Amino acid sequence: MPTRELPEKSEITIIGGGIVGVTIAHELAKRGEEVTVIEKRFIGSGSTFRCGTGIRQQFNDEANVQVMKRSVELWKKYSEEYGFPFQQTGYLFLLYDDEEVETFKRNIAIQNKFGVPTRLITPEEAKEIVPLLDISEVVAASWNPTDGKASPFHSTAKFALHAEEFGAKLVEYTEVKDFIIENGEIKGLKTSRGTIKTGIVVNATNAWAKLINAMAGIRTKIPIEPYKHQAVITQPIKKGSVKPMVISFRYGHAYLTQTSHGGIIGGVGYEEGPTYDLNPTYEFLREVSYYFTKIIPALRELLILRTWAGYYAKTPDSNPAIGKIEELSDYYIAAGFSGHGFMMAPAVAEMVADLITKGKTDLPAWWYDPYRFERGELRGKALQMG
Amino acid sequence: MRPLDLTEKDPSKKITIYLDGEPYEAYEGEKFPVAMLANGVYWLTTSNEGRHRGAFTFGPVPVTVNGVKNINGRKLKLKDGMKIERQRYDEFQEQVEIDEGKPVLRYVVDVAVIGAGPAGLGVVEEIGGKLTVALIEEKGWLGGDMWLKGVEQEGFGNPREAIERLTNFPENVRVFLKTAALGVYDKGEYFLVPAVRNDQLIEFMAKKVVLATGAVDNIMLFENNDWPGVFRRADALEVMNVWGVAPGRKVAVTGAFPEEITAELERWGIEYIIVPNVKRVEGEDRIERVIDENGNVYEVDALIMADGRIPDINPITQAGGKLRFKRGYYMPILDDEHRIRDGIYVAGSAVSIKPHYANYLEGKLVGAYILREFGYESEPCIYEERLKEYEPVARPVPKLPLDNFNGEDVQICGCGVTLKKVDDVVRSGITDLQIIKRLTHLAMGFCQGRFCLFNGALLVSQRSGMGMDRLDIPVARPPIKNVKMKVVAGRD
Repeated sequence: MPTRELPEKSEITIIGGGIVGVTIAHELAKRGEEVTVIEKRFIGSGSTFRCGTGIRQQFNDEANVQVMKRSVELWKKYSEEYGFPFQQTGYLFLLYDDEEVETFKRNIAIQNKFGVPTRLITPEEAKEIVPLLDISEVVAASWNPTDGKASPFHSTAKFALHAEEFGAKLVEYTEVKDFIIENGEIKGLKTSRGTIKTGIVVNATNAWAKLINAMAGIRTKIPIEPYKHQAVITQPIKKGSVKPMVISFRYGHAYLTQTSHGGIIGGVGYEEGPTYDLNPTYEFLREVSYYFTKIIPALRELLILRTWAGYYAKTPDSNPAIGKIEELSDYYIAAGFSGHGFMMAPAVAEMVADLITKGKTDLPAWWYDPYRFERGELRGKALQMG
Repeated sequence: MRPLDLTEKDPSKKITIYLDGEPYEAYEGEKFPVAMLANGVYWLTTSNEGRHRGAFTFGPVPVTVNGVKNINGRKLKLKDGMKIERQRYDEFQEQVEIDEGKPVLRYVVDVAVIGAGPAGLGVVEEIGGKLTVALIEEKGWLGGDMWLKGVEQEGFGNPREAIERLTNFPENVRVFLKTAALGVYDKGEYFLVPAVRNDQLIEFMAKKVVLATGAVDNIMLFENNDWPGVFRRADALEVMNVWGVAPGRKVAVTGAFPEEITAELERWGIEYIIVPNVKRVEGEDRIERVIDENGNVYEVDALIMADGRIPDINPITQAGGKLRFKRGYYMPILDDEHRIRDGIYVAGSAVSIKPHYANYLEGKLVGAYILREFGYESEPCIYEERLKEYEPVARPVPKLPLDNFNGEDVQICGCGVTLKKVDDVVRSGITDLQIIKRLTHLAMGFCQGRFCLFNGALLVSQRSGMGMDRLDIPVARPPIKNVKMKVVAGRD
């Protein structure tokens, strides 16, 4: 793991060493740019450390479907090149009534339009995929076998390692304290370990994004707030018992799957905030157990080993803010991922690197326009899990 | 009598049980591992890596009972004709009964005391009769570690008689045996302590909480330290003094505090040998020999680790307490009234390692502080003074002979994490235990680090040269004891 000294200067500085900051650095370094990541703890230590593993293309709007299609291509490419596990074990949305089915038919049509091969399947087909499911109330399911899961910490570590090989500098245990700005231009950053001269800054701090925006003196309204979401893990059971990510909106907006170690991991929609508190609650323990055992009755007899909490950095429409902030040159933001940032990271990295190096991107970055909040142009709410 | 029985058992309770089809003599209500031990059978389960395991050191003991998989063998009480099969850790019951579960029980009390060892009993003796108390004990007996002792205890005399004296409770003390507290949650007006007894959820609502949660035996690192026949000190004491069964015909004792076990072995007339520097144990389905660092070989049936106890830090960190490293172990940072924070007190060997009587005095002290909080006259200073006579035990920080071991054979964690796996990560330059946890799975299993985090910290300290006091110890997350999902899944 990298723990470099703070360099004196860097063309581009990324604040935040989570999956998003690291993949952006990786992409920029690969393109030959001089880039430094400044992380206040260790690489992957924030929400990435606490994340639920899922990677899906089943969104309900054209932009997110396209971005995630690209992201999955990149997950596949880099997992093979760098040797970290990305398993395409699919995402299975359980549907319980006609209204849900109609909504998902619309979503599937959008997904199919961009080549994401989602299908509406029968309850019996769903049970073939996950034999432990209780399908007595399920009327259909939305199934895409090309969605998947990866270990957030291991994949971040691999991207970090290769970013370094391309020349990126990753500085851990260093906290950004202030911006040095002259005539509306960034000249450098003050940190807990000295000053770095830099002209281009990317705010990739997600849950802490508003603090960095405030430090930079940004006046544009970019509402990103930290919410406490929690997760649970059970004792490990036979591998392959729950291959895909299983989603049930009916039962508490639950998501659950099996980790590579064998435990059943997941969460529900139970949300508290805005808050920076991360203490797991008893209410979550009760809720998650109630809902999970409805979806998979065999979980009743499994031991819960641990619960924990992390942040969803939420925006009003559950879509991130990605783009250039014009009032300060050159300041970019890639934050507010609202619970699905891990899966988006490789494509977001490409988008941000395009914007910095070419000023434009083929991916639909306009959807994540940081100015949309101020303009009152909220997007359709991105499908948020948990 | 069975081969390892030390005492005659009640013949009217004699039953037959089957392990993998073989019949064995047992006694109604006996715990499964104890009955098997009495019959000379140590191997009870198999890890996912195929390692044979017993029930007297770390790691879970799932077994299949009358066709139902993944039953906790450690707590299994035997009934006549029971058919038990060994299984691997990851086997589980796919077909389960779906019911509404048992209704939640709720109790409102002034004080919830978690742990009924000498410290917990001291608290209750001090406050019982004045305040309403829930005394919550995971084990099936009162008296904690002292109940396991047969020899006289300083300050108390005969340990069992002392416990019987201390457990004449007044009416406003409710005792909950075999009840595992899942954690302490701050609800503002009160503390919520959810607990589980016999698959039923109990919610205690208490104004004050006392963590009299005790210490745990340190697990020692040597090759095949997870093998059937390796005993933690407390488990060896329990089989002898609670169940009347010997750990083996001839046993080896190792660790920095062998005297904690040898007096008991002598009392029962069990042949033993002290082996200070164990390098490796070997055998088929149980230990047959112990090999020390000088290559000496000792033929024995069992090995008892008596390396001293360390405070169980999990209940403390989950409840919001901070730690410091002192006298060779991590202990809670307390204010001048033995609190980790407002309303949560700690007493006994959860604070520091000292004789049972000192832990009892510390319980009395905490009880006196609590009485004062509730507006009663009390004199904590009396206990403060008496407690000063007992300097807590300093535990030498062990030096791991890391380079003498075959690290692949040394288990640092009961869930299949080898010393080599952790050592490789540490040697690559990673010293943050949070990252080590994530990369190796250390402290992420059934015991949540209770038996492995200390050794993990030791390894980091030794390899990196960083002092133990400088390491950032990950905090425990609820539930602090494993709970079946169905227990907490019920809706009111």
